[in-house]
Amino acid sequence: MDIDALLLSLKLALWTLALILPFGIWVAHALQGMSKGRSWIEAALALPLVLPPTVLGYYLLVGFGGKSIFGIPLVFSFTGILIASLIVNLPFAIQPIQRAFEAIHPEIREAAQVSGLSQWQTFRLIELPLAWRGITSAAVLTFAHTLGEFGVVLMVGGAIPGETKTVSIAIYDKVQSFDTSGAGMLSLVLLGTSLIAITLSYGVFGRQTNRARNLERRV
Amino acid sequence: MPGELHALVGPSGSGKTTALRTIAGLSNAQTGKIECDGSIWFEANEIQGITTALSPAQRSCGFLFQQYALFPHLSALENVCIPLYNSVAALSDRKSLAQEWLDRMGIGELSDRMPHQLSGGQQQRVALARALARSPKILLLDEPFSAIDAPTRQSLYKTLAQIRKDLNIPILLVTHDLREADLLADRITVIDQGVGLQTAPPKVLFERPRNSRVAELVGINNKFEGVFTAGKLSWNGCQRIFNVVDKGKIPPDTPVAWVIPADGLSLEITKSPTSIEVVVDHVSAIGQIAVIQLRTIEGHHTVVWEASAAEVKRLSIEASKVFHLEIDSSKIHIMPLRQINDPRRFIAFEGAA
Repeated sequence: MDIDALLLSLKLALWTLALILPFGIWVAHALQGMSKGRSWIEAALALPLVLPPTVLGYYLLVGFGGKSIFGIPLVFSFTGILIASLIVNLPFAIQPIQRAFEAIHPEIREAAQVSGLSQWQTFRLIELPLAWRGITSAAVLTFAHTLGEFGVVLMVGGAIPGETKTVSIAIYDKVQSFDTSGAGMLSLVLLGTSLIAITLSYGVFGRQTNRARNLERRV
Repeated sequence: MPGELHALVGPSGSGKTTALRTIAGLSNAQTGKIECDGSIWFEANEIQGITTALSPAQRSCGFLFQQYALFPHLSALENVCIPLYNSVAALSDRKSLAQEWLDRMGIGELSDRMPHQLSGGQQQRVALARALARSPKILLLDEPFSAIDAPTRQSLYKTLAQIRKDLNIPILLVTHDLREADLLADRITVIDQGVGLQTAPPKVLFERPRNSRVAELVGINNKFEGVFTAGKLSWNGCQRIFNVVDKGKIPPDTPVAWVIPADGLSLEITKSPTSIEVVVDHVSAIGQIAVIQLRTIEGHHTVVWEASAAEVKRLSIEASKVFHLEIDSSKIHIMPLRQINDPRRFIAFEGAA
C-alpha cells in the first residue's frame, strides 16, 4: 500500500482544514451582515462547486506560473496543491457554516446585545456555539473532499511521490499500471476514512449539540 | 417616570415595537432624542444627522422579547449569567446573583434546565430574570404575555407587579391587548402610524379619548356623531338634545364625535321623558355576559349594550322587542371630528423613560 500517498493526503486534508475553517467562519459570519454585493460574493465562493476541476486546475496552473511563496514554487509543490485545495473547498467550508449562522434567530443576537455583550462576545459566546453543527459539517465535508480531490491536484501538482502524489492520484496510477489490488486497497482506505468522517458528522457531532457548553461554563 | 408602567397600544404595524427597539438601540430613528436617567442614548436631527447613538450593550436596558429569545445552548442559570459577563464580580458571585434572580422569579429549582426543557411561562420568567440581572435603568417588554396561556399570564402579572414594587425603574410595555394595558399600566399611549395620539391614565383614555381615532383604537363601541353648541349636543338624526359639559374649547355649531362608556347606558321597559326608543336587533350571549345590539327608532343608530345574563332575563330581552334607552349625559365625552394631527413622533413620549 502506498503509505506515502496516504500520509500526504492526510497532511493536505489537515492543513486545508486548519486554514480554511477560521477563514470559512469569518466569511460566513461577515456575509450575515452584508446587504450590498452579497450575492456576487456568494456566487464567486460557490464557483468551485460547478466549475470542472480541470478548468480550475488549468487556471491555477497558468496563474501560479513560475511564482513562489517564501521561495517555495507553487506549481508541482505541496504549497501549490494546498492553495488549490483551499480554493476548491471554499464552498464546502463556507456554505454549511453560513446556513448555521442563518439559522440563529435574529432575536437571539439582539438578546445578547441588550444583555451587554460586545459583538465579539456575542460571536464567541452565542453564535459560535450555536453554529457548531454547521462548523462540524463543514470540517467533515472539507476533510473528505480533500482526501478525494483528484482533478485540480493533478493539474497543479502532477504526481510527485511524497510531494504532490495524493491517494486519489496514487489510485489512478495503480489502475493505469494494472495494480488493481493496490488500487483496491487504497480505495478501501479512502472509503473507510470518508465513511468514518461522515458517520462522525451525522452521529456523534450531530447529537453533541452542546459541545460549546464546556466553553460556556466559564460564563 | 421611575416606577411607572407605561403601556404602548396600537394596531399592528403602528410602530409600537419599533419604538421599543429604538429605545433599546436595536433600530435607529432618523431624528429624535432618547434620554434616560440623565444620559443621552440617542440624538439625531435633520441637519446634523445622528450625533449620539449608544450601542444596545451600552444602554443598560432590560428587554423582554415576545418569544423569550433565550440562548438555547445555555441553561437557565447560564442565560441569566450572560448579562453579568462583563461585571467585575467573581464568577461565583455572578452565579449566585443569577441564582437569586431565578429564585425571585420562583424558578430557582430549574436553574440547570435547558430552555427546551422549560414551559413557556418558565422560559418567560428566565427571560425576565435575564433582563433584570444587569440592573437596567429601564425595562422594555415587547408583548411579553401574548404567547402564554391565561393562568400563567395571571401569575406573570403578579410577578411583574412585585418587580415594580421592588425596582424603581420605568417599565415600558408594548401590547395589543387593551385589557392587559388597562390592568397593568399607570399610563397608556395610543400609537397609530408611528404617531403618539394620546397619553393618559387608562380611565381617562377609555372615558375621554382625545379624538375619534383614539376612541376607535381603544375599542369604544358606542361612537356617534352630532353637533355641539354651547353645552348642547344634538344627535344627528334624533330630536334628543344632551346637556354636555366641555372645556369651552369647541366653537358653536361644531360637528363632533361623541362616545358613551358602557356604564352610561341603561335599558328600561317603561318610557321616561329622557329615554330614547330602541328596538333590539341582535342578542348574543357569551357566558354570563350578553352583547345586545340596539337600533334607535329615530335616526337608526346602532348602540351596543352589554348586560349580565340576569339583566337579560329580568327585561326579557329578545330580538325585535322595543325598549327605552337611557343615556347618562354626564358620561358623554365629545371630541372634534377631524383627526388631530399630533406632531409628536413616538419617540417624544419616551421622555418618560
